[in-house]
Amino acid sequence: MTLLDFARGPALQGAAFIFVVGMVWRALGLLLLHRNTPLSRNRDNHLARHGFRTVLSRFIPAPVFERRVSFQYVAGWIWHLGFFVVLLFFKIHVMFFQGLLGFGWPTLPNGVVVAVAGITLGVLLWLLGRRIVNPVLRYISTFNDYSSLVVTMLPFITGFLAFAHYGFAYETMLALHILSISLLLVWFPFSKLIHVITLLPSRYILGVKFWRRGVQA
Amino acid sequence: MTEVVTKQELDEAFAMFYGMAASLKDLASPPVEVADEERVAAAKRVFLKGIDANFATQLDACVHCGACAQACQFYLGTEDPKYTPVHKLDLMKRVYDRELSPLSWLKKFIVKDITADDLRAQQELVYDSCTMCGRCNLVCPAGINIADMVAMNRSALAAARLMPDELRFMQEGQEADGTIFGADEDLFRFRMDALQEKLGFEIPIDKPKADVLLVTTGLDIHLFQDATGGTIETLHHMGVDYTLRSDAYEGANFGLLSGHEGTKKKMAAKLANAAIEVGAKVVIVPECGHAFPALRWGAAEALGKPVDFDVMTVSEYFGKAVMDGRLKLEKDKESRVVALHDPCKVGRWGGVFEEPRAILKAIGWELHETESNRAYNFCCGGGAGNFLIERANPLKRAGYRVKMAEIEKTEAKTLVVSCGSCRMNFEVGKVNAGDTIPVESLAAIIAAHLPKTEGAKA
Repeated sequence: MTLLDFARGPALQGAAFIFVVGMVWRALGLLLLHRNTPLSRNRDNHLARHGFRTVLSRFIPAPVFERRVSFQYVAGWIWHLGFFVVLLFFKIHVMFFQGLLGFGWPTLPNGVVVAVAGITLGVLLWLLGRRIVNPVLRYISTFNDYSSLVVTMLPFITGFLAFAHYGFAYETMLALHILSISLLLVWFPFSKLIHVITLLPSRYILGVKFWRRGVQA
Repeated sequence: MTEVVTKQELDEAFAMFYGMAASLKDLASPPVEVADEERVAAAKRVFLKGIDANFATQLDACVHCGACAQACQFYLGTEDPKYTPVHKLDLMKRVYDRELSPLSWLKKFIVKDITADDLRAQQELVYDSCTMCGRCNLVCPAGINIADMVAMNRSALAAARLMPDELRFMQEGQEADGTIFGADEDLFRFRMDALQEKLGFEIPIDKPKADVLLVTTGLDIHLFQDATGGTIETLHHMGVDYTLRSDAYEGANFGLLSGHEGTKKKMAAKLANAAIEVGAKVVIVPECGHAFPALRWGAAEALGKPVDFDVMTVSEYFGKAVMDGRLKLEKDKESRVVALHDPCKVGRWGGVFEEPRAILKAIGWELHETESNRAYNFCCGGGAGNFLIERANPLKRAGYRVKMAEIEKTEAKTLVVSCGSCRMNFEVGKVNAGDTIPVESLAAIIAAHLPKTEGAKA
C-alpha cells in the first residue's frame, strides 16, 4: 500500500467515521442535557421568529460596534466563504465528490479557485499573526485556538503545493493533502471547530432570551 | 411638585450615606472559615446544576475571537486583557469540560481541575470588573450570553463563601432583616410620615386590597427621597388605587447581586406573596435597576409557578401612562438639553426604552442620545452592587469615564437616570472626576411636571 493508497483509503475513511460519530456524539450530548425553562411571563411572543432574526442579524455587527469589530467580522466572512468555494467549486474536488456521490455540479475556473484559496490562506495567516500579536487574543488564546487554525490551514498549504507540483512528487503531495484533510475531519469534534454546529443555535438561544424580555438582540 | 427634599439636604444625606457605604467592609462579620475542598465542591454544584443545554451550547460556541472585549467598558477603560468578558467564563468552562461535556471522558485527562485559589482569583473577574451589564452579549458573533454566565459564577462564589465582604454584609443583613442599609420598619414609617407631611396627603400603607403595590428601597428611604416622593405624588395625582406595605417595602435584592440564591428567592417570594395578598394587578418597583429583574423575572421563579401580576419599574409605569394619554405632563417653558441613561437591568435586560423617552418628550426636554443607547448603552460603571465594593474603585472610575465620555459628547446640561444605584455611582464618579453635570431622578422630574389641575385617571 502506497502512502496515497493509505491516505485515500483507511485514513480518509477512518477520519470521516470519527468526524460523523464525533459530531453526532457532541450534538446528542448537548441536546440531551436538561433545559431550564423560565416561569416568568414573556414580554413578547413570536420567540422563534425573533430567535431566527438574531441568527441572521449576527452575521454583521450592530452599527455601534462597527468601528471596533468590523474588520474581524469581514475577515471571518472572507475565509469561511473562501473555504467553501475552494472545497465545493474546485474542479478536482467536484470530481472527487462525483466519484463519491454519483453526481457533480458546475465548477469555477482553476485561476479563480487558486486566487480564492490564496486570499483565504492569506486571511488565515493574518488571523494567526493577529492572535499572536494582539494583547487580548494572545491572553485568551489556548492550544485549541492555535491548533485549530493550523489544522485548518494545512489543507490549503498542501493543496497549493500539490496543485503547483512543488516539493515532493505529486502523488506524495496529494497524499499529504488528503492526510491533512483527514486530520481536519478528526480535529472537528474535539476542538473549537465544533462551533459549526453550536454557533447558530447559540445565536438563536440568545435571540429568544432577549426577545422574551422585549429586546431585539 | 412638592419639594420633599432640598438640594442641600440631599447633598448632606449623600455625604453621610456615602460615608456609611464606604465603611461596609469594616462592618462585615469575619468570613466563615471553610475548607478549600468544600469551597470547590460547592462552586461545582452550582455550575453543574446551572449549566443546561442552552448554556452548554453557548460555551461550546466560543471561538475566542475577542470581540467581547470591544464592548466591555472595563476592558475599554483599562485595556487590560484579563477583563475580556469571555475569559471570565474559563473557570466554569473547565468544570463543564471535565464533568458535563460530551467529551468529559477525554477532557478529564487534559483539562486541569479547578482549585480554591482559582475561585479566589475569580472574584475580581466576576464581581469587581463585571456588572453583568450584558453589552458583550450584543457584540458576540456567536450570541453567547456571557453576562448570565457571569451571574452563575457569582452564585458559585457565593456558594463557596467567597463573596466580597461588602456584598456579603449586605446579603446577610437583608437575609436577617429583609431590608438594606438598616432601613427597618421604624425608619420606613418615619420616612413615610415625613413625606406625608410634606406632600399634604395621606400615603396609603397596609391597605388590605389595592390595584397597585408600590415598593421602595433602603437607598431611597435613606437618600433619594425625591424619587420616592415623586412616585407617590404622581400616583396620587393619577388617582391610582395603590398601597405600600410595612412588611414588604424593600425592592432591593442583594441575594441577586451577591449571587446568593437563597436570599434572592426569599426576597422575591416575599414581595410576590405580598402582591398576591393585596390582589395587586401591578407591582411598581422603585428607581432601583436590579429591583426590576429581581421581581419581573424572578417572582415566578421564586414561587415556582407563574404569577398573575405585572411588574413595572417607575419609568415604565408612568411612561406607559404618558404614551396612553392617562398621564398628562406640563411642558417646560424653556427646553432643556438632557442625556438619558438607560439602566442595564431595566433597558437591555428589561425592554424599557421608549417609556422614559416619552416622558422627556412630554415635558418638552430635548434629548440628546449618547452614541451607545437603548440596548447598547454603557453601564454607569458601578452596577450589580459594585458601587459598594471598595477595592473595585479604580475599575469603577475607569468604567465611569467610558460612560461619561459619551455623555459629554451629547453636550447635555442634565443627566436623567431612573436607577438609584446608577445615580449613586454617577454622583460618586462626579466627585472623583471633578464633573459637575447634574444627575436627576426621572420620578422626581415627572412629579415636577404634573399639571396643577387634576390629571387623567389611571
